[in-house]
Formats: sequence, C-alpha cells, structure tokens
Amino acid sequence: MTPIVKLTNLKKYFGRLEVLKGIDLEVQPREVVCVIGRSGSGKSTMLRCINFLEEPSEGTIEIHGLTIPAGGKGKEHQQLVHEARLVTGMVFQEFNLFPHMSILENVMEGPVIVKGMDKAKAQEIAEMNLARVGMLFKKDEYPLRISGGQKQRVAIARALAMEPKVMLFDEPTSALDPELIGEVLEVMKGLAKEGTTMIVVTHEMGFAREVADRIVVMNEGELVEQGKPEDVLNHPQHKQTQALLDRYRTGKK
Amino acid sequence: MNLLPKKENAPTSHVEMLYQAYQRKERVFRMNVGISWGILLLFLVFLFSGQEWTLAGIPFKTIKVDSEFIRANMVFIAGGIGETIKISILSIILAILLALFAALGRLSTFPPFYALSTFYVSLIRGTPLYLQIFFFFLALPQLGIILPGLWAGVLALGLNYGAYMSETFRAGISSVGKGQREAAIALGMTNGQLMRRIVLPQALRFAIPPMGNDFIAMTKDSALVAATGFVHELMWRAVKVGRAQFHNLEALIMAAIFYWVMTLLLTAVQSRIEARLSKGDR
Repeated sequence: MTPIVKLTNLKKYFGRLEVLKGIDLEVQPREVVCVIGRSGSGKSTMLRCINFLEEPSEGTIEIHGLTIPAGGKGKEHQQLVHEARLVTGMVFQEFNLFPHMSILENVMEGPVIVKGMDKAKAQEIAEMNLARVGMLFKKDEYPLRISGGQKQRVAIARALAMEPKVMLFDEPTSALDPELIGEVLEVMKGLAKEGTTMIVVTHEMGFAREVADRIVVMNEGELVEQGKPEDVLNHPQHKQTQALLDRYRTGKK
Repeated sequence: MNLLPKKENAPTSHVEMLYQAYQRKERVFRMNVGISWGILLLFLVFLFSGQEWTLAGIPFKTIKVDSEFIRANMVFIAGGIGETIKISILSIILAILLALFAALGRLSTFPPFYALSTFYVSLIRGTPLYLQIFFFFLALPQLGIILPGLWAGVLALGLNYGAYMSETFRAGISSVGKGQREAAIALGMTNGQLMRRIVLPQALRFAIPPMGNDFIAMTKDSALVAATGFVHELMWRAVKVGRAQFHNLEALIMAAIFYWVMTLLLTAVQSRIEARLSKGDR
C-alpha cells in the first residue's frame, strides 16, 4: 500500500538548535498514529512540518501524492505547500476558533473563502460536520460562550469541513479541564472508527492504547520506537520509552 | 384599590437585598457626581458673570462679558459648526486609510514598504501639526497644486492623525494572536485572505475605542486650520468677529462652548459604541 504521508530524513533547526534530527515516518491511509514523547522532544514540530506551519530545514515530505522537498522557494513551492494544506486538517491545543464569527461561520469559513464554495452548499457541509461532533445545537453561538471541550469539537468540525485526507491533532486535549477531555476524545474515537487517517500528538495514554493503530515515540528530535500500542506500552524496547511511561504512571507529564 | 403591599416589591431573599443595596449605592454615587458637576458649572458661569464686590475691604471681581455681542454673533459663529464637522469627518476617513497602510507597512517584510511607513510616521510625528498645516498652504502651490482651503486642511489633518493612528492599528494587528493566523493558514488561506477575514476584523474591534478618542481630539485640532484663513469653520469665525468688534474674549468663549458641547456629544456616542462592542465580546 502506498503511504498517504511519508517523511524522509526530516530535519528542523531553530537557529543553531536541532529540533528534528532526521525523522523517517510512513502513515498508511485510514491509519491512526499517536505520537508520544516528553515536551521538547520535537513531536509538535514534526506535526507542524507536515502542513508547513513550520518550514522543515532538510528532508522530504510526501503527502497524498505530492512530493515537497524542504527549503523550497518560489511560486511552485508555495503552490505545493498550499495543496498540502488543503489535504490536511489541523486541530490545535488552543482551539484557535475565530472569535468574531459564530460557530457556524467558523466552520463555513474554509469552504467559502478557501474553496470558493457558495454559501448554501458550505452551510450544508458545515451543519453536517457540526452534527458529526455533536455541536449543531450551538451553531449560532459565539466561541466565547461555549466550553473548552465544545470549542475543540467545533475546531475539529472546522478542519473536517475542508474534507482533508489526513487529520493532524496537536495535543488536542492538553488545554482542557480534566472533565472536558472525555467529550473530545469521544469525537476523535468516532473519527477513527469512520476510517479517518489521523496523526495525533498526545499525552493521553488511555486514548493511544485504545484507538491508535500504531504508537510512535519521540525523544530529543529522534523517533526512538514505534509499534502496536500493546507492544510499545507493555514492552517498551527503548529506555527513554520506559522512562516516559514511568512518568505517566506516576502522574507527571 | 389594593391596600396589601405588593409582593413583587418586597425583597425576596438575602441576595436580592444585597443587590438592591448595591444598586442604591451606585445611584447615590452617580447622583452626587451629578450635583458636583452642577456646582462646578455654576462656579464657571459665575466666573464670567461680571460681578464686583468688596469683602473685608478687599475688592473682588469676576470676568465681564458683553452679552449683547454674544447674542448678536451667536448665529454667525455657530455657522462654522458644519464646516468643523465636515473637516473632522473627511480628515478621519483619510487618517484611517493612511493609518491602515502605515500599519501594514510597519509589519511588512518588504524593505521599501517598511521604510516608507516608518519614514512617514517619523516625519509627521517629528514636526508640529500647526507647521504641517501651513506647509500644505505654502508648499503645494509651488508644485502647481492649488487645493481649496478645506482640502488642504483635510490633507494636513489626515496625514497627521494617520501617522498617530497607525500605532493604534499596529497594536490592534499585533493583538491578534499567532494561533489565529496559524488556524487560518492551516485552512489554506492566502496572506490576503488571512488579513481580510481574520486579522483586520479583530484588529479593528480592538482599535475602535482609541479611534474614537482620536476623532474627538481631531474635531478640536481642526481649529488650527483657521490659522490659514481659508476655511470658515468655528475658530475662524470666532477670531474674525472677535477681532473686528474688539470682543475677542466673548467670541472665543462662544467657540469654546460649541467645541465642548460637540465633544460631549461625541463622547456619549463613543461610549455607546464601546458598550455595544464589549457586549459582542461576551
């Protein structure tokens, strides 16, 4: 099977600091990959390189048939990056809903502005996706008037409305109060069941164990271990994975 | 007639009583502020009442104004209000446009655009408005550009306020978080779409209260345009009749009252707008 996302020798420098030290990763269509690792291990940076929120320094990103080398310049590169963004949907830790638009407008914004879809059609798509995350009942509300968990569900609907091929989640529950985490994870589980390709950077080990097809462990900019959840979580091969899991077990992040 | 006490007027709970006490306290405060304003206003009127008296052998007097002159010239001076408002509105529109470009230039990574913006802001903020107004009357004709007085004044005021307001706009644009931009970029928006749809609407909401302040300040600074002698707004009319009939003080007092009333009205409008904006935030 051809992978839908393929990272080859991906490197990223922030100034002199090497944050990603040559990552190789393949993600198959319909696969759910959870990326775990300590903060500062480069997992978010890797995720953000996939849709070029961070421009990678070296290596190649292949996504849904597009091959984009790092460090490209000019119109052609920009066009490729734009296309990569169209086939990826991203969900952020801090939701980043647009506060000056209603929930419905938030979800319609991408289809209408980026795809140039007519409003009636976009509204149909937006309402369908809001229903998917259980937020249709708040469609006329503004983001400041809903809870964090609800915001994140709307943010997921906003990404889904663009009908992406891959969903990227950057610690989607880390900014939430503990009692609100469940509703967001439920929505994500639903997406996984529907066969959505997902790359999830997370600290939720329970979610990773239950939903992931594969767990990827990162440490200091390197991919140190990957495999089925039960293998990685029960029989970690790498001592950094062991240390990470111990930290979770004792309740620290 | 029902002689029983009405039930809905009776305090229903401890919380209700506390809330009513709080409201009473607010009312009393506002009433006292109102009374104090009244006293200050009376004192101001008294200051211009032309009274003379002696207290314990020391003579006192207040400022004397010629009420006959005031009555006779009221309409002429008030006739400048329209012109003053016209200058202010046209200038603020020009200022907003310039401020927007200057703010975008200031945030641009394209060197000439950045330079143009910082050069403009530096030059305008580094020289007095009074001087700038004369400049447009004296320098432009040398280039063969002869603007009607009003437009030269609008150009000077607009350029001046645009430079100051660009800082407000820049702060507004910077106040829109990085996360907002990233969310828009991740959706596939271009830079133009990101600015127009996400950044500017939020930046404007942030910038509206200080823009209101600038507009109020501008209605008063429009008086400087009178110095050129070509625009017959409030200040020009006051100076003209005052000088002609040797009643400068009366004429200026009248102009002052008109300016004050105008700013009071504008301030009221502004707080309405602000209240509405903050409502949208919740």
